[in-house]
Amino acid sequence: MRPLYPFEALVGQEEMRLALVVNAVNPRAGGVLLRGEKGTAKSTAVRALAAILPEIAVVRGCPLHCDPARPEEWCPACRIAGGQPAAEKRCAPLVTLPLNATEDRVIGGIDLGAAIRDGVSSMQPGLLAEAHQGILYIDEVNLLDDHLVDVVLDASASGTNVVEREGISLRHACRFVLVGTMNPEEGELRPQLLDRFGLCVEVAAEGELEKRVLLMERREDYDRDPRGFIARWEDQSRELAARIALARERLARVRFPGRLRSFVSELSRENNVAGHRADLVMEQAACALAAYEGRGEVTSMDIQRVAPAALRHRRREALPPPPPPPLPDPPEKENDREDGENGGREEETNQTAPQEDAPQNDQRNETLPPEALSAEAAPEPPPAREGGESHEEVFAVGATFTVQKFSTPKDRVLRRGSGRRSRSRVSLKQGRYVRSVAGVQNGDIAFDATIRAAAPHQRRRDRTNGLAFVLRDEDLREKVRERRLGNFLLFLVDASGSMGASGRMAASKGAVMSLLLDAYQKRDRVAMISFRKGEATLNLPPTSSVEAAARFLHELPVGGRTPLSAGLLKAHDVLRSQLLKDPALRPITLVITDGKANAPLGEANPPVEEALALAGRLAADERIRFMVVDTEEVGMITFGLARRLASALRAEYFKVDNLKAEALLSVVKGYTQ
Amino acid sequence: MSDPSVYPFPAIVGQERMKLALILNVINPALSGVLIRGEKGTAKSTAVRALAEILPEIEVVADCPFQRAPWDDAEICRDCPRAACREGILGGAVPGTVRRRIRVVELPIGATEDRVVGTLDLESALKRGEKQVEPGLLAAAHRGILYVDEVNLLEDHVVDVLLDSAAMGVCTVEREGISFSHPARFTLVGTMNPEEGELRPQLLDRFGLCVHVEGVHDAAERVAVMERRAAFDADPERFDRQWEPEVRGWVEKIRLAQERLSEVRVDRGLLFEIARYGLDAGVDGHRSDIVMLKAAKTHAAWKGRLEVMRADIEAAAELALPHRVRRQPLQDVALDLKTIRRAGSVGQGVS
Repeated sequence: MRPLYPFEALVGQEEMRLALVVNAVNPRAGGVLLRGEKGTAKSTAVRALAAILPEIAVVRGCPLHCDPARPEEWCPACRIAGGQPAAEKRCAPLVTLPLNATEDRVIGGIDLGAAIRDGVSSMQPGLLAEAHQGILYIDEVNLLDDHLVDVVLDASASGTNVVEREGISLRHACRFVLVGTMNPEEGELRPQLLDRFGLCVEVAAEGELEKRVLLMERREDYDRDPRGFIARWEDQSRELAARIALARERLARVRFPGRLRSFVSELSRENNVAGHRADLVMEQAACALAAYEGRGEVTSMDIQRVAPAALRHRRREALPPPPPPPLPDPPEKENDREDGENGGREEETNQTAPQEDAPQNDQRNETLPPEALSAEAAPEPPPAREGGESHEEVFAVGATFTVQKFSTPKDRVLRRGSGRRSRSRVSLKQGRYVRSVAGVQNGDIAFDATIRAAAPHQRRRDRTNGLAFVLRDEDLREKVRERRLGNFLLFLVDASGSMGASGRMAASKGAVMSLLLDAYQKRDRVAMISFRKGEATLNLPPTSSVEAAARFLHELPVGGRTPLSAGLLKAHDVLRSQLLKDPALRPITLVITDGKANAPLGEANPPVEEALALAGRLAADERIRFMVVDTEEVGMITFGLARRLASALRAEYFKVDNLKAEALLSVVKGYTQ
Repeated sequence: MSDPSVYPFPAIVGQERMKLALILNVINPALSGVLIRGEKGTAKSTAVRALAEILPEIEVVADCPFQRAPWDDAEICRDCPRAACREGILGGAVPGTVRRRIRVVELPIGATEDRVVGTLDLESALKRGEKQVEPGLLAAAHRGILYVDEVNLLEDHVVDVLLDSAAMGVCTVEREGISFSHPARFTLVGTMNPEEGELRPQLLDRFGLCVHVEGVHDAAERVAVMERRAAFDADPERFDRQWEPEVRGWVEKIRLAQERLSEVRVDRGLLFEIARYGLDAGVDGHRSDIVMLKAAKTHAAWKGRLEVMRADIEAAAELALPHRVRRQPLQDVALDLKTIRRAGSVGQGVS
């Protein structure tokens, strides 16, 4: 295999390197999550770490890597052996958990090789056991399947792994440092998992020409002759490894002055951090930093250097910032370690700390509110253009935001399709193999599980048919596959004149755009109906091209009366034809309106009542889920018509503002308290 | 010698940029692939399939399912399903080698994960009581080309697998009781029709180069397309014979370019030019810089030069940047370089 790019040869990315080194020195710093755009050496850095990890002691011959110094954690085999076991040194492992791993390999289970060869059931340790005392690395961690996330969370929270499968029952210690990399474009991380990472670093590309060129040159050198390149960096790598090993030894003797504890908790409090994990992480990381730099005592400076990474993903009122735009030069020497946004954040935390030892403040304290941050992607609404017709305007798309999670509940219906929103069992031989069940229904046989089931019986079975391994019907196991399906989202957008008032359409377009972004991440199919000027049009027939929807949204004009009934009717047509095509579909319809219907279908009907009656009929089909996004402004007079529409549709009701996800923070809060 | 059912690569009319992108990838596999975007019926798939005939040869251990080069270490042989060869190599025997053309391995859209990464070899398990791995498509594509038609329709979980392997050139399998990894460095070639949805940004970035193809607009060329196609359909073997010298010429030119590639030099000042391109266009990360440098060198080698010139960098930028420009969410992939640079400088003014 190709030799790995050396850690020391990375260019820039000081905060990322610091966070990784801190964890190499002190596993109790709790792991790192590297968030950032693609192509910023996230994975390269983590893999390079493997070469500089310090050695660990393990019980000789123990497949579960038991720590000889901790008898209370030993696996049953080591316990039975008792006494002082022979120890051996080995490099701390860096174990990669691939996204497509199956549970049996992660947790561990019966040894398939032994089962096939000898027909016995013996234990084969899983990845969690291999990662004991080392690092468990998950690339693209935000794409990891939920059932594996659960397993990893469980193990990392309890420090033990419980194997209960195929007649094997074992509990063993697995303490590992969790390191993950992710690109936020592909969706966010589950809050519980997010909180598991001690530190979080935002990685961005270098903005300096000089550094970019240096990086290109090094990379080209490496690609031309990897071995030669590594040889040239050998000295630095060895030096770093030695320094980390030394720091780990020194770590136990690093003193954490008591007066700094109040500083740490003050930092947490000022940043609205829930729970105490952040405090603990800051303390441990600061100790590691002091040890790494050869000091016997932690200073407030150490804490300030690790605080941004410990607080970034735990702050409550702010969403995780988008990839930071390269800010101009960090002002002071010490600040070279942080760049861009991170620098800004550090200073902010400093300033909020009342301690006198926050020496390096400058005036860049204006952290933007989250709305403003995410809005930078969308252009400022320019003055609305006059459309050709009377009173018809095209509004720019307003600020976008992260929408809260919504999906259809998981059920037992088998479906076809693909996407990322809702989890469903799938009937085709596709999707991720999550576990196996006895019996065969659709011929999708899980050979591994079948062999494991048959293994214990091999000795007793008659092998006269010339096969080495005898299977019976009762051994057969079938794969249960699961995958996330994209839903079908129908947008029913009110484009009438009343929406044009006081920037409401811009806000609504912003909301729809946010929902579209979400739809993109979940791989939904979308369709869009707009209603205005007495009629409803299917502007976008069902498509998976969310881009087409976005383009259309930009051009959507506003003006005229509000034919809500016509819109609902059109929605019904579209939904019905979709449901005919795929009866297992569970469409979600989003109605974006203020509910002020004023153009009925029948001449004499009162418009609002007509629309509500229609809505009631639509709601009768239980397969369709409705959501009403109310765009009416909260002001002096509110009609609450959208709310009435929502109850007629039996829909969930949101104000535009409520759609925003206080994602991470509210849930993290619930979890940690 | 050549397969008459394959349309000869040089006979494709027009589409110079697509042909260039493919050729550059053949010369230098480190460019890590090309994404061909375009409407239906623009010779996308034809070009990729035709590529198979002009690919250079590599040396491989005979019949090795992992496409091992004779000078690689024998680490992967341990898990190899071919018992005789495995025992021989582990016993110290020197394996026989063959020279063969680089392969184009096609990844069908409906492929299951176990077919892609490999799975337990059932036959040896049941008949001989051995746990062996049956390597998947990624093993077959090692040192070759992995071709995905309609790559934007690929199942999400298969894309994850591709990303995983493409990132480090190693395919790691930890599933269904098997645990092994093998090298999987391949040139990823994908074709797609953007009307059917975009690619995930992460996967998009993995393609070194990206070209946009359109139907030929010139009337004379359109006629040429029709005539050649008709001639090919009428008598493929004859058509093939006609084009044989041309095909040979390309093969030879590619071989020469490959030899030249390692000697191509680039002036340090031009590296700044590359970096500036990346900054101006506002791309994510550094992959575009790295790819542009490689593409420029390869382009110079292809043009028969040992020194990278500004023209090489411009050609490289056209191929390496469009799909990497940081887009407004859901914006279309940029199509032409001028708008990129302009958009980039305007964008900088705003942010």
